Amino acid sequence: MTNRKDQETGGHAAPRVTRRTALKAAVSGAALLAAPGIFASRAHADGEFMELATMREAKIDWRQAAGATITVGVIPAGYFQNLDTVLPDFKELTGIDVRLEMTPPGQIRQKAVLDLSSKTGTWATHAADPMFYDLYVINGWVEPLDKYLSNASLTDNDWFQYEDILAGWRGATSVDGIPYGIPYDGEATIQVYRKDVFDRLGLKAAETFDEFSSNAAAAHDPDNRLWGTALRGFRGAGQNMYIYPSIFKAFGGQWFDDSGKVVVNSPEAVAALQWYVSLLNNYAPPGVENWNWPDIADAFGQGTVASYIDAHGSAAVITNPEKSKVIGKIGFARWPKGPSGKRVTSIWNWSFPINAALSEKDKVATWLFIQWAASKETQVATSYAFPGAYKRTGANRTSVWELDEYRDVLGAAGDNFIAAATTSFAEDTDVEWRPRLPQWPAVGDTMATAIQASLVGQASVVDALNEAQRKIDSILKG
Amino acid sequence: MRRGGTGLFAKEGNFALLMVSPGLLVLLLTTTFPLLFLLWSSFNNINLAMPFLDGFAGLDNYAQMMGDSRFWHSLRLTGIYTISSVALQLVIGLGLALLVMQIPAGQWLFRIAAILPIVLAPVVVGLFWRTLMLAPEFGILDFIFRAVGLGQVNWLGSPTPALISVIMIHTWQWTPFAFLVLLASLAALPPEVFEAAKIDRANAVQRFIHITLPLIRPAVIIVVIMRSMIALSAFAAIFAATGGGPGTASEILNLYAYKTSFIELNFGYGSALAVALLIITLCVSGVLFHLRTARRG
Repeated sequence: MTNRKDQETGGHAAPRVTRRTALKAAVSGAALLAAPGIFASRAHADGEFMELATMREAKIDWRQAAGATITVGVIPAGYFQNLDTVLPDFKELTGIDVRLEMTPPGQIRQKAVLDLSSKTGTWATHAADPMFYDLYVINGWVEPLDKYLSNASLTDNDWFQYEDILAGWRGATSVDGIPYGIPYDGEATIQVYRKDVFDRLGLKAAETFDEFSSNAAAAHDPDNRLWGTALRGFRGAGQNMYIYPSIFKAFGGQWFDDSGKVVVNSPEAVAALQWYVSLLNNYAPPGVENWNWPDIADAFGQGTVASYIDAHGSAAVITNPEKSKVIGKIGFARWPKGPSGKRVTSIWNWSFPINAALSEKDKVATWLFIQWAASKETQVATSYAFPGAYKRTGANRTSVWELDEYRDVLGAAGDNFIAAATTSFAEDTDVEWRPRLPQWPAVGDTMATAIQASLVGQASVVDALNEAQRKIDSILKG
Repeated sequence: MRRGGTGLFAKEGNFALLMVSPGLLVLLLTTTFPLLFLLWSSFNNINLAMPFLDGFAGLDNYAQMMGDSRFWHSLRLTGIYTISSVALQLVIGLGLALLVMQIPAGQWLFRIAAILPIVLAPVVVGLFWRTLMLAPEFGILDFIFRAVGLGQVNWLGSPTPALISVIMIHTWQWTPFAFLVLLASLAALPPEVFEAAKIDRANAVQRFIHITLPLIRPAVIIVVIMRSMIALSAFAAIFAATGGGPGTASEILNLYAYKTSFIELNFGYGSALAVALLIITLCVSGVLFHLRTARRG
């Protein structure tokens, strides 16, 4: 909608130089200066950021599409910039030229739809919103990836290990059990709070929604510029319709009734929206109805918000010494339990599909790129092992989340950060987090409008949801 | 084209046609063709989310519009937005022009200052108001309101203030246009008429109503026509400032048509909404043009 960033987070983590990264930086620096032949016998001679030898253990011919050139649409976020930096290794390995084209998150969906629907094949693959796969699939715009995964000449799954990718994300990028995208980076939503404030008031991280409200009430002190809490209020399928679905599900809501009809005005939906509206109207800073995650993280970093629930990646902003005044005073926890006893995190991730309009050779080249980008080695090379200041924190694989080096980098964010994120991934995901339909762009925007309208009092909660139901009925009828 | 029947005229006519044809062709391709395509789309089902329904739909999209409460809501907002912003531009522009006319020297300074908002891109204006002027806590307007004891107004975050804000933004940007046109028109009025009126002891109000207004009427109507047409199809500044929100509080018809097409991916219905806006704009300007010519004689 605007110039604001979308739901994904892409800030910069605090610089953290470990022995390994310092060594790598030195190696790559030296490699730039020295003639290529000098380091021929070293492990990193043919790859500056990763062990290409590990890549070559895959029993496939990495060079089968050598000479191809593909363009990939991504967003200008740290996690894709890191990928861009290590791209020369991919060229070295495969002989394929890849160009990353950065498009702001607010426009990338529209641009992708334009490209896919006109079948120009401009973007061989792009950072895709998982909620768009139903739309892509019903139009036949993207390739089913099961045939790539099961083809031994294209994928060595003993090496690639598709099943190692977080289960919730695999579910979110599949339609009817068939994968259409491979997750590259993503996030969980977690509870973030000011440890010092909570300690002073004798509060604990909320276990239930009631506790979350009462914590916000107890910490709320606007006269001293401290507001109780903040959640995304800005209208958009990826903004307020990113946080509301978790609340809706935790209240026991279901997007589809027994006959498969979308229902958005059930009693659970009303209760969930009422909870959200009264929480924000009572304890959030003025203007929260236009806030997206960067606004929330900035406010928390400035010490004016006592707690929030948002993507774990927003920790990069609140632990950035250049921006944050609350470093060392931050605690993390999972989503509180809703009245139904469920905790429901987002399963947001950016994934790569294959554009069906490509030539066969380019499809193979694109698959090799996707396989490479989603592989453990590249995930490591762009996260904790990355020589630059920003290390990715949204790795796509369980095995990476279990690595000590990865956990060391992430653990610096604050108390309980890794536990909160990993438990959320393991236990709090729900593939039906948001209603998965080809008409999602329309349904998501309609819900976003209703949520914001009731937050600002343009309509009551019940009226706004009834109006949304009417509109959604007409959308689905066509 | 053919006149007189002599060879020379015929040749000249053909040559002229040849000369303008590239321009005509470009015009056809860039304006007429898209317009016809829009009309055609509006009679079809074109919905990327439901490709299996694609096909000729007759008047279905228009029928749907009649029962769409969000369409009527956006139409009502379009009316409020257009009428109030044009009225404000005219009143403030005329007031400023009359004031500046009283200044014996240095009018050029006001003319230059007036041009500045006009030359800014509307999207820049929208963003600038959103961040610098209207933001809660840090906005200049918010600061002024609190400083003079009017309390905090959540300009872009509450429904009515948001609508007032986008009207204010549009008025801010385009009042200078009315001001400049009316100032030029006032400057061209013959001083003798006013001197005669003064001798007849007509007071200032009488002079304004009976002499100034009738004399600048053509300029006033031109301002109303041009500003109404632009206000009806306003987009960028609102898109940047509120995106039509909060909720649908500032979603005028143009924004609703955009959202239907490009967010909801329902191009058929979106085209029908755009055609409706086109028809309304044509009707309004038709009536205004008629007003202009009808009473001239």
